[in-house]
Amino acid sequence: MAQVEPQDGRIEWEGALVQRARSGDTRAFERLYREHAGKVYGLCLRMTRDPAIAEDCTQETFINAWRALDRFETRSSLGTWLHRIAVNVALAKRRKATPVLDSATAEDEATESEWTLETPVEVEEIEAAIAKLPEGARDVLVLYAIYGYSHAEAAEMLGVAEGTCKAQLHRARGLLRERLGVEVH
Amino acid sequence: MSRKEGTISSLRELPRDIPPARDLWPAIQARLTEESRAPTAADTRVRNRHLRMRFIAAAAMIAMLAVGIWIGRSGLPLVGQRARPVLTASTANPGTEQGAVQTAYTMDPKYLRDRAELVKSLEGQLATLPPQTRTKVMASLATIQKSKQDLEAALGHDPSNALLQELLVNTYQDEMRVLTAVQEAGTAGKGI
Repeated sequence: MAQVEPQDGRIEWEGALVQRARSGDTRAFERLYREHAGKVYGLCLRMTRDPAIAEDCTQETFINAWRALDRFETRSSLGTWLHRIAVNVALAKRRKATPVLDSATAEDEATESEWTLETPVEVEEIEAAIAKLPEGARDVLVLYAIYGYSHAEAAEMLGVAEGTCKAQLHRARGLLRERLGVEVH
Repeated sequence: MSRKEGTISSLRELPRDIPPARDLWPAIQARLTEESRAPTAADTRVRNRHLRMRFIAAAAMIAMLAVGIWIGRSGLPLVGQRARPVLTASTANPGTEQGAVQTAYTMDPKYLRDRAELVKSLEGQLATLPPQTRTKVMASLATIQKSKQDLEAALGHDPSNALLQELLVNTYQDEMRVLTAVQEAGTAGKGI
C-alpha cells in the first residue's frame, strides 16, 4: 500500500531540498526533478500534444526553475510553482510556432463541476478527445478539470481573464460531449 | 457496480503524472553545469554597476566639456588667478594617487576659503551681469553641481575608481573657473 505523506511534511522536506538547491546543490535539485518530472511532463504533453515538444518544455521548465529558485517561497507548493513555469514555457513555445489567438465567446461555465462522465470512457479515448480540442479550450480543461486548479488560478497561469477561462471550459465541455458521445457533468 | 478496466468516469481520474519516455535529467544537468560557468546574477549586477558608472562618467565628461567650451568661448583669459592655486602639489606630482589628489584638492584650506569667498560674492556679482549671461552662468553652475553629485554618488560605490576621481577634481576646477569668471567680470563691470 502506498504511503501517504502529510502535506506539511512534504513541504518541509521539499523546502529543505530547495534550500540546498539554492546553494548550488544539483543533487538536491535532481531529487526535486525526480519528484515532479511526471507532473510537469504530463501537463506539457497535454498542452502541446507532442512528446518531443513536451520534453523540451519539461527541460526548459526545470532550467527556468533552477534560475529562479531564489524567488520561490518555500511555504507554497513547489508543484504549483513548477506548473506555472511549465504553462509559461508551453505558451511561449506555442506562440513562437503559431501566433494564433484562440478566443471563446460561448456562454461561460458558471459553476464548479467534477467533470464526471455519464458512462465510463476508455482513458485513451478521452485523452484523444482532449488532444483534439482547440488550444484555448484544451489548456483550461487540462488545468481545471485534470490538475484541479481553480478558474482564477488557471486564468492567471494562462494570462487570460477569468471570464475567458470559464467560456473556454464551457466550450470544452460541449466539444467533449460531442466527440465522446456522453454527457459530461 | 464494476467498471471496465482502463476506463474512467471523471476527468479528475486521469493520471496527473506522466513520466517522460526518457530521462531528461542528464540534459538538464548539462545545461545547469554550463550555466554555472557563465556569469551569475551577481556578476551581472556588478557588470551593470560598472556600466552605470561608465555612463555617469561619460555624462559628467560631456557636461564638463560643454561648460569648458562655454567658458572658453566667453573669453576667460583673465580667469584662473584663484582657481589655479587651489591645485596642491600632489596634482603636480604625476606619481601621486588620484585619491590623494582629490582629498588634497577638496580639503585644501585655501581652496575651501577661496570657494567660500566666491560663493559668498556670487549673488552680488550675478546681479551686475546682463540677464542672458546670468542665465548661462546659473545653467553652468547647475550642470557642474549635478556632475559633482553624480560623481560623488558613483565614487560612493567605487571609491578607488581613478577615472571618477579625476573627473571629480576637474569638476571642482570647472566650478572654480566659473565662479572666478563671474567675480572678475563683475569687478571689471563687463559681461562674460
